[in-house]
Amino acid sequence: MLNYLFRRLNLLFITAFILSVIAFILTYWSSKNTLADADAGYIIQYVKYMSAILQGEWGLSSIDQQPMLIKGLTAFASTLELCFIAFITANIIAIPLGIFAGLNRNSLLDYLIMTIALIGLALPVFWLAVITTMLPRLLGIPLPIDGGISPVFEIPVVSGFILLDTLLAADTYQLDAFFNRLAHLILPSSVLSLFLITEIIRLTRHSITMVMKSNYVKAAYAKGLSRKEIVFRHVLKNALPPIIHQLRLQLSTIISFAMVIEIVFSLQGSGVWLLSSIKEGDYLALPTAILIISGFILLSSIFIDILLMIISPIKRKSLYVD
Amino acid sequence: MLINNEFNEEKIQSPLQYTWSIFKRNSLAITAMWGSLILILITLFADYIVPYAPSTQYVKHLLLPPYWVEGGNSAHILGTDDLGRDSLARLIQGIQLTLGGALAITIAVSILGSVIGATAALTKGLKASILHHLLDALLIIPTLLTALILIVMFGPSYENSLIAVSLSLLPQFIRGIYISIENELNKQYIISLRLDGATNVRLLRFGIFPNILEPIITLLNRIFTMAILEISTLGFLGFGTQFLDVELGALIASSIVLIYSSPWLVFFPGLAIFIIILVFNIFTEGLRHAVIEGEDL
Repeated sequence: MLNYLFRRLNLLFITAFILSVIAFILTYWSSKNTLADADAGYIIQYVKYMSAILQGEWGLSSIDQQPMLIKGLTAFASTLELCFIAFITANIIAIPLGIFAGLNRNSLLDYLIMTIALIGLALPVFWLAVITTMLPRLLGIPLPIDGGISPVFEIPVVSGFILLDTLLAADTYQLDAFFNRLAHLILPSSVLSLFLITEIIRLTRHSITMVMKSNYVKAAYAKGLSRKEIVFRHVLKNALPPIIHQLRLQLSTIISFAMVIEIVFSLQGSGVWLLSSIKEGDYLALPTAILIISGFILLSSIFIDILLMIISPIKRKSLYVD
Repeated sequence: MLINNEFNEEKIQSPLQYTWSIFKRNSLAITAMWGSLILILITLFADYIVPYAPSTQYVKHLLLPPYWVEGGNSAHILGTDDLGRDSLARLIQGIQLTLGGALAITIAVSILGSVIGATAALTKGLKASILHHLLDALLIIPTLLTALILIVMFGPSYENSLIAVSLSLLPQFIRGIYISIENELNKQYIISLRLDGATNVRLLRFGIFPNILEPIITLLNRIFTMAILEISTLGFLGFGTQFLDVELGALIASSIVLIYSSPWLVFFPGLAIFIIILVFNIFTEGLRHAVIEGEDL
């Protein structure tokens, strides 16, 4: 177990190093004329760059002279908020459906659920988002389709998570700002959650089927346990780790899609921030985004790995990290 | 001679024939197979079957609806866009670029990924670890960011978007191949093959490969689907094809302002992506079932 942990941390450092090199190359490339001592070797410049990064000096945006780190973190917090809401919705809907499909394989309901999942996978996210922006007008639902929050509200940025900030600013607007933000999130998060739902249904169904085929479930049947008891006592517990593991690998795809959805809905977040920065020629935004977003994905992967190690004993014995 | 030539059904089939005979029974999968073949043919011969040159502007026919809608013209079956370009021709060109790109990525990624993944699985120690985790850093950079890096450094182009998508899919494939080979390696028959003195290549070709067909098909399907989605997403954001050539995502983006006056222009490219993914998924799902038939479905 310690060996595994050691290897995992080793990987963390190597990957973080590669990431920082990529970010350094980009920064160097985008500001090659403005660096103070361009004569110094690459290694010295890299060390200087890293010490600046570690001290929190990530440079200033060339658009409004704001510190990059703050801008990046605020934008990414908004993206995370969207991902988080979509993720929770998707789990609530998809896990029961997946379990149901996995337990009743090749039944009519299984085919129905899998057809829905296939259709959800085949619909491109950005296209669905574009179609969804038409819905309120076509169906007459009063839901906002652009922006993160109505400009009436002036919410001071405290945590970057606007839902939290609106709650903190509850003195001025009561809960109006909170509900306004929530209304702005409904359509984008449902588009994102559709993609997540198809993924989670597929993973859950596959995982449940694998567990149902295993010998210990047969043994449990032989012991005389009822199907319900087997499912709750053995199957669910053992089906969970592979799902979490696979979802971890999907993390970067999910964030990628969230950024695209933000761009379509012009929801403030890292997608809009990056796109506009690059169009304005503020290339320093790119290494900042790489460090923040990939750093987040890296750290959460490690966190999930350790979590998996705690909840599934098989992982503890494995020597190699995968 | 014990072989009975009288009754066909008693002939012993080769594994390939057996798989095919199972696959044949699934009519939905057969339909999907023909659908995929037609789509691939469209991709290969798009230049010969387009009704008009995709960039020709018919100034007299602006924003025509499809011909079955009031006001449509049967000369332009799917209507025209705001510059009078034929929608069907542009759609076919879009399918060519998107599907062709996705197929190219799938082939390139599968060849490169198999080589790296198999080498990593069959060797031990530091070399295996380096090979296996070589591209881990890419796994944690979202595709959109990889694409942005390439585009900022080398300028936006269709080729760069393809490279970005392949770079983000390659580590996933390597990982998949590595895990499935690793699972097979611990089994008894591989050990007995090893004891017989089989070389690694022979082990892969005759021992492992036939047994990991099913995960390979699933992986390929996955790579292909994600490639289509990501190519069109990059195209949609304007990082893909430039100027006259448009792939499906860019086609949607270019007509997004016309969504209320002419929703067809947004609708058809999306439908094309939908159909491509659906058809290929049903086809590979049928194939997968045929391969694992005999085991528990």
